[in-house]
Amino acid sequence: MKQAKTSGRRLVASSLFALALIVAACADDDADAPPGLDDSEDAVDDVDDADDADDDVDVADDGDDEVRLGILGQCEGPFGGFHEDTVAGVALALVNHAGATVPSDDTALDGWEGAEVNGTPIELVGVGCGDDTPDRILAEVRQLVEQNDANVVIGPLSGDEGIAVAEYALQNPDVTFLSGIAGSQEPTLEVQAPNFFRFHGEGAIWNAGLGDILHNQEGWETAAVIADDYSFGHTSTAGFVAEFCGVGGEVTSRVFPPLGTTDYSSYIAQLPDPDEVDGYFWAVGGTGTQAALEAFVDAKGDLTGDQHAGNLFFNPDLAQALGPDIAGAYVGGFASPPGDVQMPAIDEYLASADETWDSLPTGIAGGERADASAAASFGFMYGYYSAGVALVDGLAETGGDPSPEPLQSALGGLSVELPYGDIALDDNRSGIVDVFISRLTVDDESGEVVQETVALIPEVDQTFGGTFGADTPAPSRDFPPCEERDLPWVGNAIPVEDGVPQQ
Amino acid sequence: MSPNAIMSSDREQVLRLRSIVMAFGRLFAVNGVDLDVAKGEHLAILGPNGAGKTTLFNVISGDLTPTRGTVMIKGVDCTSLPSRRRPRFGMARTYQKARSFPGLSVEDNLYLAVVGKRGRHLSLWRSGTDRSWREQARAAAETVWLTEELATPVSDLSHGQKRQLEIGMAVATDPDILLLDEPASGLSRGEREWLIELLSDLGADITLLLIEHDMDVALRVVDRVMVMADGQQIAAGTPSEIEHDPVVLQTYLGTGASA
Amino acid sequence: MTRQLRSPTTIAFVAVVALLVVLPAIGSSFFVNFIMTRTLILGLAAATIVFLSAYGGMVSLAQLMLFGTAGFMFGNAVLEASPRGLNLGWAPWTAVVFALAVATAIAFLLGALSSRTTGIYFLMLTLVYAVIGYNVFAQVVPISGPSGITRITPPPPITQATHLYYAALLLSIGGYVVLKLVARTPFGLALQGVRDDPVRMASLGFRVPLHRALAFTLAGFIAGVAGLLNVWWNGQIDPASIGISPTLVLLIVAVIGGISHLEGAWLGAFVYVAANSYLRALPFVDRIGITEDRFNTVIGALVLLIMVLSPEGLSGVIQRLSNEGRRRFSRFSSRDGTGRVDTSGDDAGESPVVMIDSSTSPPTEERK
Ligand SMILES: Nc1ncnc2c1ncn2[C@@H]1O[C@H](COP(=O)(O)OP(=O)(O)O)[C@@H](O)[C@H]1O
Ligand SMILES: [Mg+2]
Repeated sequence: MKQAKTSGRRLVASSLFALALIVAACADDDADAPPGLDDSEDAVDDVDDADDADDDVDVADDGDDEVRLGILGQCEGPFGGFHEDTVAGVALALVNHAGATVPSDDTALDGWEGAEVNGTPIELVGVGCGDDTPDRILAEVRQLVEQNDANVVIGPLSGDEGIAVAEYALQNPDVTFLSGIAGSQEPTLEVQAPNFFRFHGEGAIWNAGLGDILHNQEGWETAAVIADDYSFGHTSTAGFVAEFCGVGGEVTSRVFPPLGTTDYSSYIAQLPDPDEVDGYFWAVGGTGTQAALEAFVDAKGDLTGDQHAGNLFFNPDLAQALGPDIAGAYVGGFASPPGDVQMPAIDEYLASADETWDSLPTGIAGGERADASAAASFGFMYGYYSAGVALVDGLAETGGDPSPEPLQSALGGLSVELPYGDIALDDNRSGIVDVFISRLTVDDESGEVVQETVALIPEVDQTFGGTFGADTPAPSRDFPPCEERDLPWVGNAIPVEDGVPQQ
Repeated sequence: MSPNAIMSSDREQVLRLRSIVMAFGRLFAVNGVDLDVAKGEHLAILGPNGAGKTTLFNVISGDLTPTRGTVMIKGVDCTSLPSRRRPRFGMARTYQKARSFPGLSVEDNLYLAVVGKRGRHLSLWRSGTDRSWREQARAAAETVWLTEELATPVSDLSHGQKRQLEIGMAVATDPDILLLDEPASGLSRGEREWLIELLSDLGADITLLLIEHDMDVALRVVDRVMVMADGQQIAAGTPSEIEHDPVVLQTYLGTGASA
Repeated sequence: MTRQLRSPTTIAFVAVVALLVVLPAIGSSFFVNFIMTRTLILGLAAATIVFLSAYGGMVSLAQLMLFGTAGFMFGNAVLEASPRGLNLGWAPWTAVVFALAVATAIAFLLGALSSRTTGIYFLMLTLVYAVIGYNVFAQVVPISGPSGITRITPPPPITQATHLYYAALLLSIGGYVVLKLVARTPFGLALQGVRDDPVRMASLGFRVPLHRALAFTLAGFIAGVAGLLNVWWNGQIDPASIGISPTLVLLIVAVIGGISHLEGAWLGAFVYVAANSYLRALPFVDRIGITEDRFNTVIGALVLLIMVLSPEGLSGVIQRLSNEGRRRFSRFSSRDGTGRVDTSGDDAGESPVVMIDSSTSPPTEERK
């Protein structure tokens, strides 16, 4: 028995040995580069996307004459349904601007072929599969960079992931990162990695304009805030509070139910009654939006749309449960505006999506198939699209040179022409963007509640006139405080009528 | 019928039970037992299955706290003293169904029995004392004829060997109060002879309480017998008295000695 | 255990260690600094689950929480001007001692609290610890962020990725040897006795709850060591790092390797990490439906397959093959202890893992 046990153990040990050996042998050895904690040079094994796995390129030596692009998506977790959207965004940018074609008309995950800028090919080396946690996205980005040898990464999708990836970028200056649609302030405002670029807005930016309109146009003097108690809820609220208080309004109460609350009644009870406050700002997402509003109706009586505003989670579907009373509510913006906004560039962009794919499984349809243009019109795919276009523009600027220094300096100076508005970057390489504010209204013809864009706030940047900076705390339950301050865009709002900005 | 009747009063009392009641819900497994055992006495507890013998052992060894009554060991009231404190009184027991440690070797089982009594339970080093305890464990193995099996995991032992080990673990600690719960069950005829020899050779200082169905074994090694039924003592006396006691014959032997 | 019998194990052990020592010279940097470093860290953490299960009969779900606690504590203590955490700004090695002290103290407290439970109750209780730990870090933002503690670097002299690999290797070997040796000490033998029959141990004079609590403490300390390696390697830790899903991952790692063999922990970690990284790179796997988003399903199927082949995980498969050759099979399957937590007959149940495990053991006849 002893003997059997011993030999069993020996075998266990030897098999570990053997397995290690096999896998070690599978990876091409490339031990000449000095390893280091922040070392990303000597990744070894070019694992192409499965389509042409047999077509390995020895990338160790030809580092800089092609773009080896990795994409960080999310295939699991709360946004797992948007996995196709992320790759589709990048692919569409390359189709529209780098001469790429897609091999499949019903999925984006097969990547693209023939993308090229000034003779420099853009190859997809891998798609990272996040699950909305920083640990996972770090493992995925390390795989893309250190194993698949990506020299450009587009992504990630969500805020906390963004912080982790920006920190990773800081450690790996030779890799160029373009955020997908990570909506937290920190990746740029605080981490400030010189190689991390964000051609889209973030949670606070997307609520710019609401405070100005509600205070100066709708006459709200006081407001109460109810928001999810986590980073995006805090950031979204921060944008509203900074502006509403900045223009002279007063936030009299802030309530933060935990994420995933199902019974909001105790939190609604903490809000002032409708006669004690001029209005309410809601930043409650997911299924919580409707549940919280229903709890409000139960506790405080009827809903008066005019007395409410919400961040991007407010939408016309709420009327199905709450009735048309919700009409009148203002809604903050996102990376892309509501569908009523009409500009030739937008039509062209959406049409190009439909030309590229017959249909895509998309998060906008709950993971089911929908027209590619439906996915393209939503901020997730659009954020990745914007990053893709920025990459192409940056490469065009360097004459196709993807090496870190020229590419990164080119990206920093870009003003990218995009269908929903041009985007330039601030000093921290975060987008200065146009924000579309909309309102839920009753459609005259159909009688249904629709979302109507009412204003365009041009050139919003993430500092909010100095409210937020590298040294300020992260947005939290009580930051920023309610104080008057100057915001550069106040008074510059451009009215939008029937989907057309009145320039 | 008082047990005191057959006791010489000058001998030291090592165990004194007074009106022990052990109830499991509404079942009175032991129902008012008094017992005095003097130092060096060898006592057999007989009785049909379910009479409450094992339960009485559990009360004495501290595995169970009696519902009522008192347990005095060597003059100390131990009624609610946890079982782990009792080896220090020189008490050791076996279980009716062998309860050794199947994942460990015979030697380690015996060694644990020694360590359990002596101390250094949390030690992370092996020391000189440790070596002498190992000696003691091996000596116990020899006593119960398991020297050949020292390195064998207990799970590989035969049933009889497990019974031997069970006894070995009890004697390894040099106890002076030894409680054996049906040690002969499952032993072959030869092994029984060995057991009788072992028990007959116990030092005069060792107090033995023996639960045994095998009258042959029981009556050859004890000098006093207590008979239980339904949680109560129904008879007591010397082996020869008991062999001829009509109540015993009817309630116990009548139901078959192999019960 | 004689020298002669021992030597094949020793030879194999030395061979594996030798290979791992020279690995940075022959393996790719990704393989060494990602796959193998992560394997060693996860393996060390999973080994504490195996230790508690194999020697103590306790299947713990709290190990990842202790692992994370050490990481959070280190981050809070060592950082100076980070936008997150307490920024205590202590010397790195002071922070190491502090982090381990906190993890160990918490392990002792929780171990003492659960020292009278076994089987499924112990499992549930440690699950509760894991959930509470997660919630504490998720809600007490000053010690966990906001949004996690970032920019954590290893203490000097660990300045390069390969240093960290060697640190993980050294501590893995250390952890393995310590746990193996502890099993032979009076304390370790008593622990195995507690695993097999707590009632008997008590009647032999042992303080059963104390043994359980101290074993849990030792496991917590080693989990803390692994947790430190993890934050050095990962650079950051956030509440989701110790959420329910990574907690289960650690258990799965232990189960893949074989919950009754210490070395299985590293084997399981290797399979998990390698599968995670390499499975998707195999040609045509996506053609049969194995895409990244199905990864959990694949791992699940893998676990199922291994469990069906051998309830004792991969190390069990290997051991079984070897034992069959020696016609030792029947003895082997009754050797291991995790299935025996219930021999006291009074414990109301066993954990699922233990249950599967005991299916290879002969029916226990000790029930009263
Ligand atoms: N832990 C327990 N819980 C409930 N009933 C028990 C327990 N232990 C023993 N009993 C019951 O007490 C009675 C006496 O059992 P026991 O002392 O084992 O008898 P004996 O050893 O004389 O055969 C039996 O009816 C048995 O079922
Ligand atoms: Mg009995």
